[in-house]
Amino acid sequence: MIEVRELTKRFGSKTAVDNLSFTAKPGQVTGFLGPNGAGKSTTMRMIVGLDAPTSGTALVNGARYAAHAAPLCEIGVLLEARSVHPGRTAVAHLLALARTHGIPRRRVDEVIARAGLGAVAGKRVGGFSLGMGQRLGIAAALLGDPAVIMLDEPVNGLDPEGVLWVRNLLGGLAAEGRTVLLSSHLMSETALIADHLVIVGRGRLLADTSVPDLIAQTAGGGVRVGTSETGLLRSLLTGPGVTVTSVDHEELLVTGLSARELGRVAADNRVPLHELSSSQVSLEEAFMNLTRESVEYPSALEAVK
Amino acid sequence: MTQPRLAQPQLAQPRLTQPRLTARGVLAGEWTKFGSLRSTWITLGVSALFLLAIGLIAAASFTPGTGRGVAADRPMDAVGIALAGTTFAALAVGVLGVLLSAGEYTTGMIRATLTAVPTRLPVLWAKSLIAGGVALVLMAVGALVSFLLGSALLRAGVTALGLGDDGVLRSLAGAGLYLGLVAVFGVGLGMLVRSSAGGIAILAGTLLILPGVIGLLPDSWSTAISPYLPSNAGEAVMRLHPGGGSLSPAVGLAVFAGYVAVILAAAAVRLRKSDA
Repeated sequence: MIEVRELTKRFGSKTAVDNLSFTAKPGQVTGFLGPNGAGKSTTMRMIVGLDAPTSGTALVNGARYAAHAAPLCEIGVLLEARSVHPGRTAVAHLLALARTHGIPRRRVDEVIARAGLGAVAGKRVGGFSLGMGQRLGIAAALLGDPAVIMLDEPVNGLDPEGVLWVRNLLGGLAAEGRTVLLSSHLMSETALIADHLVIVGRGRLLADTSVPDLIAQTAGGGVRVGTSETGLLRSLLTGPGVTVTSVDHEELLVTGLSARELGRVAADNRVPLHELSSSQVSLEEAFMNLTRESVEYPSALEAVK
Repeated sequence: MTQPRLAQPQLAQPRLTQPRLTARGVLAGEWTKFGSLRSTWITLGVSALFLLAIGLIAAASFTPGTGRGVAADRPMDAVGIALAGTTFAALAVGVLGVLLSAGEYTTGMIRATLTAVPTRLPVLWAKSLIAGGVALVLMAVGALVSFLLGSALLRAGVTALGLGDDGVLRSLAGAGLYLGLVAVFGVGLGMLVRSSAGGIAILAGTLLILPGVIGLLPDSWSTAISPYLPSNAGEAVMRLHPGGGSLSPAVGLAVFAGYVAVILAAAAVRLRKSDA
């Protein structure tokens, strides 16, 4: 269990994390989402005490991280930035961390096998690909067999097979009753793994919700209809909650009616249609709608809008 | 009666020994880190090479009366000749210390280290103990070997000295002590500035350049300040015949240990207070 309470972090005049509160519960994968620069990494660093909060608290299994007798056994962490000396072998790296806690050598071999690093365990980390580096980071996170796993952008740099591996691993860990907190700036990727979503922008909490709730909350939806008789069709589509906007001179976007209902109206009134489709708001769009205001560096196109 | 441990299920039962973060564990972890880096072996090898090679070259080329083969400010006795390489050896063990601590920041390893040891300070103490201890033992042995081999090479004209003579063992052990402290100085410096290049630059500046700069000051100033410079104070502990403006071995050691303590304290404060 991770409990973040009114956490704030300022770097000079810049507020990286602003009064953020959320809870990651056991047995769930909690997705921690936000655009780049939203304060996700800083929040995670504060949870394990690498950064000191300006105010507020972050508790891991009910206590401050540094107060635990065996921190590695409470929470396993993969940070976004590489945290390995490139001159050391994978085994030596894991062994050095394990020894601080008296974790036996046997456990080091186990996590190496679990992360699929058996073939490169004796090689220097400097020669590792991004994907192997991520696997080593995940192996280190699993070292203490912790009840909480926290990963910052774990699928960055992984090939499709690696992405699938992470997805299955995290699902398995949550199914064992562990708490999994996973950050990402990719909504579609996170939606496949996460049960619960915590969305932040500019350090503030934007949403604390589930995937279906998020779609329901932000979905504009609507039905796209193409016809040469836009004027006629427009006059037929009246009713409570129905809005019609023209996309161009032969296309309308209708909300408040299903595609089925709209097709029926058109057929009954002999209006010829050349297109009729429900436009689904994707999760990605829902996410972008939510975070639009808080994007750190909006692209020129966005800025003009 | 002991059961084979393999038969135990991994997660379901508590382990026989519950993992715990301990000072001893931190020391073991740091020892693993120390031994698993190429830079450790290179800097240790280079320091031993400097100490031996320069000591032996000085012994072989020493001509009585001219002072050839030894730095001019070094007393010309068999011990001083054997330890002619300490300045360069000091640089090498200092670099060892800097790389051990600053290297963690330069590579990002510090994030893994401090996640494993969130109490932080034990990491600094463990690194100091390991770098200092290893450098002390290796350099004391190196000084001894340099003295024994060098004595055989020395031509007549230098008072023959044996290990049993007054102050010889103290001087050789003092060289180990000084160089061990230089390694600790390097660890503290690296932890303080968090950059390998910056730490090495400050180290070289302190040990090699500072004495020269002070020498440029008016004589009355430089003779007053010079003995208290880190390198001069530290080297006093391995002088067979102190004097000629240098501190006594005990006072020199205390002054240098003071510098090391100040740097370590500053490093400890920065490690505790600032974000990793």
